[in-house]
Amino acid sequence: MRRSLILGGLAVLAFPTAALAAEGGTGGWIAPFAVIAAGIGMAIAAGLCGLGQGRAVASAVDAMARQPGAAARIQTAMIIGLALIESLAIYTLVIALILLFVKGINFA
Amino acid sequence: MEAIEHPPIFRLPGIPDHVTYTWLVMIILAGLTFVASRHLQLVPRGLQNFLEVVLEQFLQMIDDVMGPEGRRYLPLIATLGLFILTSNLMGLVPGLAGVTSNLNTNAACALVVFIAYHWIGVRKQGLIPYLKHFAGPVPLALKPLMFVIEIISHLARPLSLTLRLFGNMVGGHILLAVIFLLMGLDGLIGWALSGSVAGAIIGGIGGLVTIVFTVGFLYPLKILVAFLQAFIFVMLTMLYISGAIEESEHHSEQHSGHH
Repeated sequence: MRRSLILGGLAVLAFPTAALAAEGGTGGWIAPFAVIAAGIGMAIAAGLCGLGQGRAVASAVDAMARQPGAAARIQTAMIIGLALIESLAIYTLVIALILLFVKGINFA
Repeated sequence: MEAIEHPPIFRLPGIPDHVTYTWLVMIILAGLTFVASRHLQLVPRGLQNFLEVVLEQFLQMIDDVMGPEGRRYLPLIATLGLFILTSNLMGLVPGLAGVTSNLNTNAACALVVFIAYHWIGVRKQGLIPYLKHFAGPVPLALKPLMFVIEIISHLARPLSLTLRLFGNMVGGHILLAVIFLLMGLDGLIGWALSGSVAGAIIGGIGGLVTIVFTVGFLYPLKILVAFLQAFIFVMLTMLYISGAIEESEHHSEQHSGHH
């Protein structure tokens, strides 16, 4: 199943190549790949960020259930941790925005 | 992106939007505090009471993270915190431009933090001992490598502060701009008004769902992100300052149980 997934992913990359070959464009190679990279990159970053934040919140809730007296300090640490994990996805968002709005426009 | 977003209601000629609204934030903050400090009373009421509560929160955060000797850095921290909070909230109001959704403002705040915590560390310990602490508690052979790694991680700090604040604010704005694009006369509202039954159903229901989603979920989320990002910026500033000044405590004083 994994091999077919990889082959399918590589086959998707053939589509813009075919489209560009059809219209004979030589300067327009970057724009479709930039758009695809922005989308896929953001999706991977968001998914992994979700996993990381899920682990952080799970540990925090476990600790709060174990020691309800320390709940306020644990909650503060959890909020800080969540914001720091989220900032990694935000860096990817900034790169995706740069790719979309600088390279994703077809200078035709 | 500028085609989707609308210009703000108030523009000075020749001056970029984010600078104009920075001045507006400055006028608001300075005016508020000036009015509140007119007749200071021992038992505060009204605006003075509110501002004292805000400052108490800052003092509590400083006590938690930096210890009581960090209170001398309250002006820097409270100024940064209030400025970023007000700028974030100003970007949410439709019609006003966002100050922190421009990279320059965030870079300026991050540079202030970077220079401040290095200056505080050097002033407290002297230049050579401060630089020696960059090498860390590793054997002598690894100290040059550790020094290089520390320099890179210190350089990454203002970059991450800038991009975190910028990305959070701009992400929310782009989301809102896309929703406005969906709802416009080319999208759902246009379908609803187009006169056909299918268009009216899809446009009407879609428009209603989008309005409820935006007002009920997106705007509260953006307000939460505004407060949270200001809090995170201030918290990281305090952590960096406490990291710069605490090195001396390992050498000179006893390590008390508190911090």
